[in-house]
Amino acid sequence: MTAAFALTGIHKRYPQFALEDVTLNLLDGQIMGLVGVNGAGKTTLLRILTGLVRADRGTVQVLGLSMPDDQVAVKRDVGFASEDMRLYKSQTLRWHMDLIASIYPGWDEVYARDLLRRFDLKSEQTIAGFSHGQRVKALLLLCFARRPRLLLLDEPTTGLDPVARSEVLEVLSDVLRDDSRSVLFSSHNTHDVEQLADSISFLHRGRLIASQDKERFLDDWRRIVCHGAATPQWPEIAMARRNGSVLEIKVRGYSADMPERLIAQGLVVDSVDPMRLEDIFVTTVRAGAVA
Amino acid sequence: MNSLNIPVIKRLIAKDWLLFQKQLAAHVLAGAFALCLLGLAKPWAFYLGSLLLIIVLVAASCFSISTSLVNERRDQTLAFVMSLPISPLDFYLSKLAGNLITFAVPFLVLAVGTIAVILFTPLPDGLVVYSMLLFGHILAAFCVSLSVAMAVESEGWNIFAMISSMVMINPFIMGLGQIESISAIARGPDIIFNAPVIAILAAQLVLSVALLCLTGWAHCRKTAFY
Repeated sequence: MTAAFALTGIHKRYPQFALEDVTLNLLDGQIMGLVGVNGAGKTTLLRILTGLVRADRGTVQVLGLSMPDDQVAVKRDVGFASEDMRLYKSQTLRWHMDLIASIYPGWDEVYARDLLRRFDLKSEQTIAGFSHGQRVKALLLLCFARRPRLLLLDEPTTGLDPVARSEVLEVLSDVLRDDSRSVLFSSHNTHDVEQLADSISFLHRGRLIASQDKERFLDDWRRIVCHGAATPQWPEIAMARRNGSVLEIKVRGYSADMPERLIAQGLVVDSVDPMRLEDIFVTTVRAGAVA
Repeated sequence: MNSLNIPVIKRLIAKDWLLFQKQLAAHVLAGAFALCLLGLAKPWAFYLGSLLLIIVLVAASCFSISTSLVNERRDQTLAFVMSLPISPLDFYLSKLAGNLITFAVPFLVLAVGTIAVILFTPLPDGLVVYSMLLFGHILAAFCVSLSVAMAVESEGWNIFAMISSMVMINPFIMGLGQIESISAIARGPDIIFNAPVIAILAAQLVLSVALLCLTGWAHCRKTAFY
């Protein structure tokens, strides 16, 4: 299987922020969720992938081509929508659709009309009259209807009301059913990522702190509640919090023999539960370690 | 080096033209009104008409640059455009061509109109040379503003470049008045392109072309486009 994109040793320095030594791959047909707090470097990473920003160091391959040298060919097959990307306020959505259709031969007008209906957008309305949610949906429509091989979505659901968010996620799920399409979407909403992604990458303060399959991610982590006096200091324990005799530990690289090992330490294991992605992310960031 | 994406460049030029055509028509109409005043060949009308003509030309040049470049950056539509299948050079050429066309339309209409008004009214024909020098200055000032808008992201610097380059028309007019060989032509009945006139026109043209080439070179080396 070939890579939809491959970033190797990417560095990008700004006065207040630096993306450091990021190496990340996405296989064709995969959906990757890029999770990070605001300012983690998600947008910069996506901008590097689309050629909007040039990396100071490192190599960028997108759809088998080198960026930014081959950006024209790459951008023919890439759909990019960003939270801070705007359309022309004075023009209608139809005007934008016609502009995109005239540039991308793969524009699917039937699908575009279907999306107009599903997103409840009026094509003859000027963008100035659109709400934030409608603007986001319009941008996504312009991306999806060109049928790109790689979709790069920067915070596609941020700031949307629950209904708009649900509409966008539903359409995104449909788009993701197409196995030939690869998607990288960034979010600080781990619920969206957990719902849609095949693999998950955590970015924090410009560094990639974790990247692996979602299932393995979720399998690897457990929240164990036990009681007793001992507080084990094992490397797989990312966080241990004691409240009296109750000890809550969050474990990365969980193995089936762990409860026995805890019992051997004189602890009584009360529960072993899988963790939600949000909890894993927060624990990883707080632990300052690799997940 | 990759080849230019000509079809998309053309689409982007057409897009800018479509976005600005109403305002351009307004500029041409205002310019035509200024020419009508000039055509009256009365001192008060000449003064008012020439002032209005310069204002219209300055407004046309600033409007095109600020709308297509400065506002695009401020309104965050630049990322949308740059996400299309174009390279930085394609973008530069589309903006250069788009701006030159949208500026050239009122500029040429008003330049030709001014020359026609001078030639077909009692105004001294020597004013043709003088007006060409003024139009040359406005073209050079437009190129300065366009180059700064392409190269510098700061809105403040862009406004400064636009205002200062256009305001320089005042000292330029005064300077021309100090050159006897030029001011004498302006008052006379003959259209004479003497050495100082040709030198100034050549300098304006060389400056304009050099600035645009330098800006293209710098633009292709930028590291961020959003």
